[in-house]
Amino acid sequence: MHKYILFVLSLFVLCCEPPPRYESSDYTTSLTKDKFVTSNEVSPTEEYVMITTAVNLPLYVSHDQKAFLQWGKKMGVRTSILGPSEWDVPGQIATIEQVIPGKPAGLLINGTDPGIASAIKKAVAAGIPTVVYDSEIPNSDRHSFIGSDWYEMGRLQGERMASLIGGKGKVACMGILGMENMEAGFKGLQEALKKFPSIEFIGKYDDKANVETAARLTADLLAAHPDLAGIAGFDSNSGPGMALAVKEANKKGKVKLTTVDAEPEHLQLVKEGVISYLVGQKRELFTWLGAQFLFDMRHNTLPLSANDARAGIVPIPRTVITGSIEIDLSNVDIFLQNAGKK
Amino acid sequence: MLRLNNISKYFTGVKALQNVTLHFEKGIIHALCGENGAGKSTLMNIIMGIHQPDEGIILWNEQPVEIRNVQTAHQMGISIVYQERSLVDSLSIAENIYPVQTPVVKVGLIDFQLLFRQAQQLLNELGLTNLSPMTLVKKLSTAQKQMIEIAKAIAKTPSLLILDEPTASLTHSETEILFRILKNLKEKGVGIIYISHRMSELQKISDIISVLKDGKFVATIDSKTPAQEIVRLMVGRDLESVKKSTNVQMEIKLEVENIQGKGFRNISFKLLKGEILGFAGLQGSGRSAMARSLFGDEKITGGKILKDGKVLHLNHPSEAIDHGIVYLPEDRKAEGLFLHLSISENIFSAQLKKGFYNAAIADDVTLKLCKLFSIRTTTVRQHLRKLSGGNQQKVMLAKWLAQEPEIIIVNEPTHGIDISSKEEIYQLLKYMTAEGKSILLISSELPELLFLSDRIAVMHEKEIIGILSREEATEERIAALASGINAH
Amino acid sequence: MQLKERLQDRVFSLAASILILCIIMTFIFPTQFPTVENFSQLLLNLSIDTIVAVGMMILLISGMFDLSVGSIVAFSGGLAGYLMYYHDVNFIIAILAGLSGSLLIGFVNGWLIAIAGINPMIQTLAMMGIVRGLALMLSGAGIQNFPYNFIYIGQSKLFGLQAPVWYMIFIVLLFSFLVNRTVFFRRYYFIGGNERAAKLSGIQVEKMKIAAFVLSASLAGIAGILLSSRLGAALATSGRGLELRVITAVILGGASLSGGFGKIFGALLGALFMALINNLLIIGRVSGYWQEIILGLVLIVAVGLDQWLIRKMEK
Repeated sequence: MHKYILFVLSLFVLCCEPPPRYESSDYTTSLTKDKFVTSNEVSPTEEYVMITTAVNLPLYVSHDQKAFLQWGKKMGVRTSILGPSEWDVPGQIATIEQVIPGKPAGLLINGTDPGIASAIKKAVAAGIPTVVYDSEIPNSDRHSFIGSDWYEMGRLQGERMASLIGGKGKVACMGILGMENMEAGFKGLQEALKKFPSIEFIGKYDDKANVETAARLTADLLAAHPDLAGIAGFDSNSGPGMALAVKEANKKGKVKLTTVDAEPEHLQLVKEGVISYLVGQKRELFTWLGAQFLFDMRHNTLPLSANDARAGIVPIPRTVITGSIEIDLSNVDIFLQNAGKK
Repeated sequence: MLRLNNISKYFTGVKALQNVTLHFEKGIIHALCGENGAGKSTLMNIIMGIHQPDEGIILWNEQPVEIRNVQTAHQMGISIVYQERSLVDSLSIAENIYPVQTPVVKVGLIDFQLLFRQAQQLLNELGLTNLSPMTLVKKLSTAQKQMIEIAKAIAKTPSLLILDEPTASLTHSETEILFRILKNLKEKGVGIIYISHRMSELQKISDIISVLKDGKFVATIDSKTPAQEIVRLMVGRDLESVKKSTNVQMEIKLEVENIQGKGFRNISFKLLKGEILGFAGLQGSGRSAMARSLFGDEKITGGKILKDGKVLHLNHPSEAIDHGIVYLPEDRKAEGLFLHLSISENIFSAQLKKGFYNAAIADDVTLKLCKLFSIRTTTVRQHLRKLSGGNQQKVMLAKWLAQEPEIIIVNEPTHGIDISSKEEIYQLLKYMTAEGKSILLISSELPELLFLSDRIAVMHEKEIIGILSREEATEERIAALASGINAH
Repeated sequence: MQLKERLQDRVFSLAASILILCIIMTFIFPTQFPTVENFSQLLLNLSIDTIVAVGMMILLISGMFDLSVGSIVAFSGGLAGYLMYYHDVNFIIAILAGLSGSLLIGFVNGWLIAIAGINPMIQTLAMMGIVRGLALMLSGAGIQNFPYNFIYIGQSKLFGLQAPVWYMIFIVLLFSFLVNRTVFFRRYYFIGGNERAAKLSGIQVEKMKIAAFVLSASLAGIAGILLSSRLGAALATSGRGLELRVITAVILGGASLSGGFGKIFGALLGALFMALINNLLIIGRVSGYWQEIILGLVLIVAVGLDQWLIRKMEK
């Protein structure tokens, strides 16, 4: 019995294949193999797969996924959208890993969390053109990133907030704590506010991307700090929740609200004057351009050498920042017209 | 009124009922008896529409009927009081009595005033005047719950009422009330089917008795027939009675000095080696509470327990078991059995101290015990829920005997068990005392106590009111003491 | 055993359904499904769930369940990661800290449920929130760049299968043996079937309950360490929704919410079945909207079919 256990244990130790010790840098190792799969013909069965988490999130459905599907129709290729329906990062990783063996023409991955880096590495190693969108995933070897700069979005909110409250007073913010992009946003906001010594930053709060939680948090904040000057929001539901609580407390206009995203709901609140400032992302660009990058990479649209795949060159932009949309009372009507058309 | 003609019912090849013809008439209390497995339950299930007969015809008031489900049976005016409870603990007595025909005001809200009035009226009629219809059922004693169960059946104003072992958890005086109610109903022309194992009761309350055996109809006889004769019909043979003998040795096994706890106080007695010490008393007189404390399930708040002269401090049943004290609880299903597990697992449930579990050895030991205790089963892997009540009880006894205990506390060991299993259990208890084990026997069946015990302690209002020797003990004497009339 | 009894045994019927499902999928997706790559991926992804499911199975056998396991997965990885990244703690000590933290959570759960008498649902629901908050505090936006030795635990391979798969196999075999053969674990069947009778049979029910919660939390802790090692990151959001997925798998695997039933292999097969369905949805490119609906239907159909079979057999 003991011998048997010893044998099995030693088997484990001897046969173990350790993980690569350093970051993969085999771009330089050989020039005989293609680093990614290319094709000269566009086939209607070639498939581009978008993988996200919380796949049913309205923000994702009406912007990212809509643009991606439109792009697929225009190009005459197959498009699939996969991922867990809840905010489940390991679930997204599992989905990526299970899609890789099927070798799709390209992968468009929502950069939800730095933890997905190793899964993206696997896709790149398998030779699948891979674009990360929305938030950057460091150390992932992705071929390209396209998205917004969350630090910038936080900074923009901070600067506007400072001017809205006249450079003094108490400011709070809320979003999903623990998410890399949000944390970058909080940092941008705080650093912008730091320039004004009379502004007191009272803290960041977790609204769990939930309208009711955001409203409850705001109501509690208003009760605890009757002199609260402003609140900044960082997820899609922060704004509507904050606005609800401020309206209910009859403090419309007295407490300045700034937040992210430009859904019809948000726009309406700007029109009503409850929210003063929105900073939106150009989400449609992420997926439309991202998919186009994948397509161009696969089909050698603009070759930079005789064989880019073998030369180890990525023939598409490595990093694209799409910039932000800024909305306030002065331009909200133009956005509302567009929203009405939809 | 209800005629069953040539009813047969098969379950996967087993004939549960064969060509049974029985007629139940208005205003007649018709007792039904037979051992467990004789087909009584199947017959009741067919009358209540839970099972459909495979052959035969049911006539209701001379019309052939098909009773498809319980609702149909209720609409026809048949209602039943099962052995198992169907009451909701968290609701009031009134709501429990009228679960379906709850009176409502126009908009559909419950009319509580009317509901309570109706319930009070019914309780009065049944002589349960000390109960308020607003009391929550969970506050009632087992016996009171049983009475409410009966009230619930009567509230449907049935023309045929079936009672399945209604007195199993009732005390003497409550049984009297029940009999009065039944006689009343009988005078109103209600037909009654009365199922029971208690021979004396059957003879007292019923007009005629029908006997079933092995799914077949044996005979319908007059209730004046001698009990020996009825038993012979049920069992098919004469019962060999254990001789009144004693195995008492003059060695004190257990000594209890002035113990008290939740539900009992000032309890002192001595238990000798090989002795059966009976405990008589009404429901709630403190017998079970005391037994639980002797087993370490509840703590004692004063007094001393000495075993073989040494003081015991029991904090958990496992400690009692270590000291050779075991307890056979009163409510088999709720406190004793693991219905979802096999016979051998049940037997080994008290031996889960440490080490590895070897199913093969357990099965082997169990097989021997099954033979010794004449537990009738095809395999020791049989799930306990498929055994009859008598066999279940024997499994419980076997489980504790396998532990080689010195003191066995048995609480209502023959509750709801058929007559031949009862005999076997009596023999087993006697056999154990011959082996030098001591027994505390708690029972509400006086003949059982008188038959088995060497001495009988009678409890009243949480205390022992007297200990009678075998010579002194008579049914009258015990009953008098138990109800607080000191006959000394 | 006869066929009739076999069919009533969930482990057997589930194994049969898994086999049938595999055969069907091989015919529909001959190039994508029956590949070594796909299967090693599938096993890797179900290993974390299965390790947690083993603990949950033991709890369900004793008639309880634990909703905080998902949070514990995030917590143990987060604590180990936090210590290694911010305090340069040796990876072994960091792992031990993560595991003992989980163990402590399990003990608190068990004590409050068994001794203080709080309802398991409420206690573990509350604990789920508390532990998730702790995990958020520890790992914040996620911790990366672990020492190589830590990564080794979850990313090394043996015979083409990544380490967590082997841990899973080891844990399933170990607990399957323990639950089948040791008196200690057998007691849980008695407690689950009839708690009162178990106490009157001399079983220390309270202590056993605490042990069950400690065990389930520790297994969740191990799963958390493995997950963060395999991902190379400690995520505050990992293990979200894991508890319900695991309970579903365990019930598919033959446990009953009322306790007293279940086998450890059932937990593995339940998790495997769910992972296969998930794999089918991904390979078949079924959109995210349908996933939950299909998983829900599968659960109802599987359990319903089982009940139907049993009822039919008993007739």
